[in-house]
Amino acid sequence: MDKFKQIIADYPFIAFIIAFGILALLPPFVLTDVYQSHLASLIFVNIIVAAGLNIVKGYCGQVTVGHVGLFAVGSYTAGTLFLYMGMGFWVTLPIAIIVTAFFGVAMGIPSFRLEGPYLALATLGGGEAIRLFIENGNFFRSTFGISDIPAPSLFGYNFDTPDRYYFISMTIMIIAVYFSFSILRSGVGRAFMSIREDPICAAAAGINVKKYKILAFILSAMFAGAAGAVYAHLPPGYIHPNNYTVIEMVTFLAMVVLGGLGHIWGGIIGAIVITIVYDLTRPLYKYQLLIFGLTIIFTILFMPKGIGGFIDRYFITKRFKAKTGAEKNVT
Amino acid sequence: MLLKTKQLSKSFGGLKAMNKVDFELPKNEIRGIIGPNGSGKSTFFNLVSGIYDTDPGSYIEFDGHDITNAPAHKIAEYGLSRTFQLLRLYQDMTVLNNVMSGYHTRIPYRFFDAVVGRKKIWDQEKIIKEEMMDLLSFVGLADYAELNASELSGGQRRLLVLARAIAMKPKLLMLDEPAAGLSPVNVDNLMKIIMQLKDKYGLTLIIIEHILKVVMDTCNTVTVFDHGQKIAEGSPQQVKDDNAVIEAYLGKKMNDEEMRKALAV
Ligand SMILES: Nc1ncnc2c1ncn2[C@@H]1O[C@H](COP(=O)(O)OP(=O)(O)OP(=O)(O)O)[C@@H](O)[C@H]1O
Ligand SMILES: [Mg+2]
Repeated sequence: MDKFKQIIADYPFIAFIIAFGILALLPPFVLTDVYQSHLASLIFVNIIVAAGLNIVKGYCGQVTVGHVGLFAVGSYTAGTLFLYMGMGFWVTLPIAIIVTAFFGVAMGIPSFRLEGPYLALATLGGGEAIRLFIENGNFFRSTFGISDIPAPSLFGYNFDTPDRYYFISMTIMIIAVYFSFSILRSGVGRAFMSIREDPICAAAAGINVKKYKILAFILSAMFAGAAGAVYAHLPPGYIHPNNYTVIEMVTFLAMVVLGGLGHIWGGIIGAIVITIVYDLTRPLYKYQLLIFGLTIIFTILFMPKGIGGFIDRYFITKRFKAKTGAEKNVT
Repeated sequence: MLLKTKQLSKSFGGLKAMNKVDFELPKNEIRGIIGPNGSGKSTFFNLVSGIYDTDPGSYIEFDGHDITNAPAHKIAEYGLSRTFQLLRLYQDMTVLNNVMSGYHTRIPYRFFDAVVGRKKIWDQEKIIKEEMMDLLSFVGLADYAELNASELSGGQRRLLVLARAIAMKPKLLMLDEPAAGLSPVNVDNLMKIIMQLKDKYGLTLIIIEHILKVVMDTCNTVTVFDHGQKIAEGSPQQVKDDNAVIEAYLGKKMNDEEMRKALAV
């Protein structure tokens, strides 16, 4: 067992291959109908968004309320590339990621001068501007949405039903989570955290604060862009401006907050829980914004580090007790 | 000279917080900086480490580099490390991550390697972690590695900022009141650790300190600031007997009895 742990520590991607294997074996058991498969893909899309949001918000500490706009950029890049140029998923995905990265730069530049609520307002403005832009141009088929965006095929195999598309969204989710883990567990993740905790001290410690801030925005935008494209191509392949509103933004925020801001598993745990709750509460759609708003508030009040932090706390306290015999470092 | 300033000046509105200071520091020295509250000691640190921009006409050189108005992270890359009077601990990070973040300028791998998660990253991270755990053991915080910095006591926090500042293996370490608020026993303990670290890493030190005993016992040379100006410089003994210093810093000339008391703090 220890040897196995060591191998994983040296080659973390093995853990991801195992995760892939397990998730690939699941469909016959859990994805019993079309709806379940569809929901699974939604969970994966949300995990990608939340993992990215956790980089910029959770780790780097930059408040952003415009992230849903970046998600929309990803979707609409894919959607319009298909609509006007007939491009398929394997082309639209990388282009969507690149285009969204550029929007991430624009979204991140205000962070050089603004903090906290002011940065929140600036990014909110950015996100809303994107949505209004999409909503008001016939170019984006704002009234009826863009439909029939085709699912990808590979070697002649078509992933055009929800239970088949599961493998596409799942694979991309695994890759995205792998990247997020690699980034966050390295010195880059520590640089992000230092900036969150104290940018002046971080600068004095040799961290180029502007560079890492913009990097955090770009990375998280790339995640949002990938998620947006995966979402656009999700059968039946339909996108509409109504899916990129402030309600979705609050939902994304609820995911990272509930899962644990700045916890490496934070976005992932949160995305799974919130997507399922979101789905179960669909009949109460009038109250969803309220529910997720309250979730954010109560989590921050009673479990500031979210589910991930809560679980960590338990084990850290236990180990500290074993080492020192003390219940807590009471000072 | 490891550090040299010429005509270093900084004003805040009408206030001259630093006024035409010429300062030279050779390698391997332990320099003390003293002066009354508000005399510009911390401002001097903030100017040298690039936290504040200097006024026109100032010049700062560190280890052969002109660092006048260079960004703070660049100055750190040249090997200048500092602590802050208000500590600026990363409260919501673990003790281990606090020190590991101090290693930033020495990280050998590139960003791209980190993104794709190449094996050499994890090998190097392991080495960094071991070295930083050793450093934590050295200052006596190894057991607390996994706790959040916010859970440490006042004395432990001071040890942690010290370890974090040393993690980058600086050429020059500048400590802003490292012993403030500690009990006499803890002050002695901290100074002992600082001296051991100085030898171990071959550091040059500048220490701002209000506790005169610390300055008198450990520093080779003492610089005295008052109202943003350098009013004296010399060995601890010279400075102690300097009339201008006595006037500005101690308020009045002390008799031997009073001086003994002041130094015993
Ligand atoms: N960012 C700032 N804005 C305005 N004034 C400042 C700023 N930083 C320092 N000052 C002023 O500059 C003067 C010198 O302050 P500094 O902090 O350097 O003093 P100090 O010698 O470190 O004092 P202490 O012993 O209390 O730490 C003070 O009058 C202070 O109010
Ligand atoms: Mg000061």
